[in-house]
Amino acid sequence: MECSQWNRLCLLACLALLASGCRGYQYGHLIKNNQPDIVGSHTAGAEVYNPLIDESVSRLLGTQMVTAHPAMLGPDGLPACRTVCFVGVENKSAEELGDFKDQIYQQIDTQINRSESFKALSRRMVDAALQETRLRPDSLLVPDNMRLFTSVLQRDGQPVDYLLYATLTSGTTERNSSTQRDYLLTLELIDTRSGTFTKEQASIRKGYHQTYLGKALNYNPLKAWK
Amino acid sequence: MSCRSHSYWFAALLLLAGCSTHAHTLREPRELFYDNQLASAHSKLDKLSSKRRSDATVIELDLAMVDLLRGDPETCQQRLRKVRDKWDHDEQASASESVTAMITDDQRRAYHGEDYEKLLVRVFLTLASLMKDGVDAESYTLQILSKHEQLQQRADGRWGESARHAYRPPPIAFYLRGVLREATHANYDDALRAYQSTAEMLPADSFVNHDIERVSHGVHSAPGNGVLYIFSLVGRGPHKVEVAEQATSDALLIADRIVSAVGKYSVPPTLAPIKIPRIVSPVKPFDCLQVNVDGQTMGYTQPLTDVQLLAAQTFEAKVPEIMARAVARRVVKKSAIYVAKDQLNASAPLASLAMDAAGVAWEATESADTRCWGLLPREIQISRVELPAGKHDIQLSPAIAGRVSSPTSSRIDIVDGRNTYMLSYWPSLSPIGSAQISGQR
Repeated sequence: MECSQWNRLCLLACLALLASGCRGYQYGHLIKNNQPDIVGSHTAGAEVYNPLIDESVSRLLGTQMVTAHPAMLGPDGLPACRTVCFVGVENKSAEELGDFKDQIYQQIDTQINRSESFKALSRRMVDAALQETRLRPDSLLVPDNMRLFTSVLQRDGQPVDYLLYATLTSGTTERNSSTQRDYLLTLELIDTRSGTFTKEQASIRKGYHQTYLGKALNYNPLKAWK
Repeated sequence: MSCRSHSYWFAALLLLAGCSTHAHTLREPRELFYDNQLASAHSKLDKLSSKRRSDATVIELDLAMVDLLRGDPETCQQRLRKVRDKWDHDEQASASESVTAMITDDQRRAYHGEDYEKLLVRVFLTLASLMKDGVDAESYTLQILSKHEQLQQRADGRWGESARHAYRPPPIAFYLRGVLREATHANYDDALRAYQSTAEMLPADSFVNHDIERVSHGVHSAPGNGVLYIFSLVGRGPHKVEVAEQATSDALLIADRIVSAVGKYSVPPTLAPIKIPRIVSPVKPFDCLQVNVDGQTMGYTQPLTDVQLLAAQTFEAKVPEIMARAVARRVVKKSAIYVAKDQLNASAPLASLAMDAAGVAWEATESADTRCWGLLPREIQISRVELPAGKHDIQLSPAIAGRVSSPTSSRIDIVDGRNTYMLSYWPSLSPIGSAQISGQR
């Protein structure tokens, strides 16, 4: 091997090694309210769940406001807040919710509490009642179970007018290397006295692609304009 | 060529010599640990950790294990978190380390853990958290799954789809998540998913089927009862040993003989074999633990995660890359000697021989990178026992082919509707230290 060849080889090796980079640090930044959420590349995240929660809760509260329910009056003669026991979020979608499940619960809980006509029970009270009665959340609709559960809460000074269930489901459509997933959040409000229920939903469709061109191939903007 | 030039070259080669393996240094404290001398093992490891060493994170992990079994899960968590964050930073590429490793050996790279170790750091973080207050346990279980996803994607990119099978998450990751979600009494759907994922990685008739059945139709525990989870760490776990890759070394020897025959100068012959690390693990000392509660046999611990298998599978996917690096290193060294001969015009047989000898010596200084978390168990076993709230005597006895050895006893306090966790490490027929019980310190 000639010396000049060796030098060239060394130079190339050095360039290749330098191209492999140096260790950096990790940085974070705050996302302003008017900036969009990051769109998850493999599963749903804030970009899907936040709008689903906002839409479904506002629909449910809106429906309940206009529904002709006999308003119960409080001691001051004004309509009393109706108490909602938010039992939990059930995940029946194709994706693991991970740390988002408790986030969804808290967001729904807070939005209900902010409304003027509803008051949500503390989650800690609900969990304690579930632990004491050893009832499964999905078994509360059995009349005896519901009576037992509400009586425990009532004993603790927390009468329950409604049970609220949130269910997340998904539907997947596949086309070669692209996938469309429809996310549906359903809120079911059940009157503990009459057993009647109100149901509201919100949905979002999301596409996943394995190539950069996947989105363009499946959602050609020119086609959409036609 | 002058004598002065020769001495410069020898001095340079000596400076570029690789390090000796770290296994010798850590052998003594590790043996002390397995001899149940936790205090001595801790002080030896502590002494080593105060020095600036390339295997500092490995020593920190060994210390974490000692802390956990000495009943200090808080310090254990601190150490594990430190290593987790350091490894996350060090797994980024470093050009300077790559260059140094190319002319010495892989021990010059900052050790950022094997992939199985990265997962197990998070598993042990979960266990340590459960032994303390469990506040961060759920986050750690999510971190195991998230890290696994990241490692699998990286392995796919580097070694192709064939690595996908090797990169299966440890079943304990899903199981722990199931245990924690079930304990909320409200998230049986999450628990079901987690147990189903665990069952997919275990034999068809595994104990997890009972868990699946319970969270599908039953409840966490009957009113007035609580649940005891017994985690047993069984056997000495995987560690690395140095092996000579004879076939590759022979092939390289033939190749460099051909180059020497046709080239202007000879290249150093491959007399020192190429050394690479391999994962080994001693056999299990017993099959499982028999669990007795208040004098009654309640069952046996069941295998949940085979740490040896996890280590061997993920490491095997990486072996071709380690081998390629070792061969490339030899080529670089041989080329350097060749160029040195060319520059110094070392055509005299004696000078050429001297430089070849120096080259062989340079190559012989290489050692395989055997840095590893040496105090891991071979297998993690689990047993779930539902018990009435109150105090109970628990006896654990190693069972080999149906025969039961002498038991060790502990007293536990079961809380109505809650989980209690018990952890013990059995490298042989007797445990290290005493069994650790959550919330009892």
